[in-house]
Amino acid sequence: MSVVDTADSRAASAPDGGTDDNRGGPAGTRGSRLSPLERTGTGTRVVIGIALTLALLWTLVPLVWMVLSSLKPSEAINSAEPQWLFNPTLRHYTGLFTGGNELAPYLWHSVAAAGGSAVLSVVLGALAGYGLARSGMRGKRHLSFWIISTRMAPIAAVVLPLFLMFRQVGLIDTLPGLILAYLTFNLPFAIWLLSAFFADVPRALEESARVEGCTNWQAFRYVVLPLTKSGLVTTFVLCLVFAWNDYAFALVFSGPHSQTLPIAASQLVTQSGIDWGQLCAIGTFVVVPMMLAGLAVRRWLVTGLTLGAVTGE
Amino acid sequence: MTTDTESPTTAARSAEPAPPRRRIGFTGRMMAPGIALLAALTVLPFVTIVVMSFSEVHLLGGLSLDFAGLSNWARFFTDPDMGWFWLRTALYFVLTLGLEMVLGVLLALCVWRLIRGRNLVLSMLLLPMFVAPVLVGLLGRFLVDPTIGLYSWLLEQLGYGGDVLGGTFSAFAAVVAMDVWEWTPLIALITLAGLTSVPLPLREAAALDGAGRWQTLRHIVLPSISNVLLVALLIRAMDAIRYFDIIWVTTNGGPANATKIVPVRLYETAFRFFDFGYAAVIGLAMLLASIVVARTFVRMLDRKGLAR
Repeated sequence: MSVVDTADSRAASAPDGGTDDNRGGPAGTRGSRLSPLERTGTGTRVVIGIALTLALLWTLVPLVWMVLSSLKPSEAINSAEPQWLFNPTLRHYTGLFTGGNELAPYLWHSVAAAGGSAVLSVVLGALAGYGLARSGMRGKRHLSFWIISTRMAPIAAVVLPLFLMFRQVGLIDTLPGLILAYLTFNLPFAIWLLSAFFADVPRALEESARVEGCTNWQAFRYVVLPLTKSGLVTTFVLCLVFAWNDYAFALVFSGPHSQTLPIAASQLVTQSGIDWGQLCAIGTFVVVPMMLAGLAVRRWLVTGLTLGAVTGE
Repeated sequence: MTTDTESPTTAARSAEPAPPRRRIGFTGRMMAPGIALLAALTVLPFVTIVVMSFSEVHLLGGLSLDFAGLSNWARFFTDPDMGWFWLRTALYFVLTLGLEMVLGVLLALCVWRLIRGRNLVLSMLLLPMFVAPVLVGLLGRFLVDPTIGLYSWLLEQLGYGGDVLGGTFSAFAAVVAMDVWEWTPLIALITLAGLTSVPLPLREAAALDGAGRWQTLRHIVLPSISNVLLVALLIRAMDAIRYFDIIWVTTNGGPANATKIVPVRLYETAFRFFDFGYAAVIGLAMLLASIVVARTFVRMLDRKGLAR
């Protein structure tokens, strides 16, 4: 739903308070509607306008500056006065794929490690999450707690023993090793979150499917899974973002055969100086896909990021 | 992590279904692969880190562990610097979480009042959350670079000429600011979800009863979203314990240990000084802290009837 659309429908439906024309729009337009009784005064509106402008500047200036700098000739980057006008160049981007600092392997490692761990997490997480949501076993609360505390374990405390274990079995500097390392946080996240999504599906649906002759598996596969498509997509995207953005694990576990994009970015910081143009180009490369993926699931972001504790926008 | 190592076996045991208990057997089979993998990925490392904490770890010439008794633990409790690292960590957490909560709630209240363009504004405000923390650090370094940085140029116009990451106080402020830049949107997003769930009739009733805007906010709106605010705080708290990428690539704990929080100290101990035994003790202490947060989180979900 477009921005204008939302504003209009809210204005139109506010007086009678209950038309359903927001259905299908972003969650939140319903409860967010302001009553005519609480119209904000001009003074308040000005204050809010100023505050939001400042917040937007604070948020966007670093990002815009990164993208601009990635397009600047090096002289413009290295001038003491900020340069807003310059002859744009793609030199820093073409530099990423030619010459010594070939970025392609890093890109492949990032895609494989983040994508691999996200796919595995969603598949295993869907099975286990459904089991957890529907299970009546004893000790389920302990199991839930164990899963969530795994997700919250400090990275530094996980990396340390994994490093010794991976060294023993030769998983250092391999993509499977990195994928396993990412599963330590993505798998518990996926299990917990998907179990929250599955818990929202009424049991009656599966029961009637079974009455119709479905097996348990068929009821899960053909009734429950299609209903939780948004949950599956959200979980996948968030797992992807967490793994793609990882630095602490990759720093320890990866070598020339598995280094990811964040490592490539940090390697541009050298004793002899930093090539900021290249760094901004890599940065843009790392950041933009995740922003697009994240905004694509914005409607379910709250549910996802609060592990199902808060729903709706 | 420690409480329930028998769960995977419970799940595995229920994988052989007796016909009348078919449902339990099915859910057990569904859980088995994921839970088994998770157990392998957490129980084994947990045992390893406990063993490490009682050992002297040698990496050269093949891995070997020599039993070292309680020496690592004794060192942990007698190291005079350790107290300072924890204190600095506590200060860092209180400052980042406090600023993020206050700014996030204010931001959410502003966006909530926005009628036109709310989706667009919110989407733009959310962007920092998706930036890799390591890039937030590197980008921050770029912006406050003493010779070419945009923000250091701005600060110079305002009369501050020093190297931001060079001073102990300013470096600490800078890494806090970077964390606040990245994670305030998350608090705002969660708070906004709470705000929009406050029923309209409730607010209207308050307005009809003559409550002013401030009174409605103070006595109606904020109390009804207190649970949501608590969730936001806990979610942030547990991630704040986890991440240290920003500090690692900006100041690396310096200058003069001003930004050396505990996870940074752990990484340094393990992967720069190769003192794995001592690092393991620090790791276990951090784990304990995170379990306390996790427990609070689950308790609170319980009280809301949300835990499964």
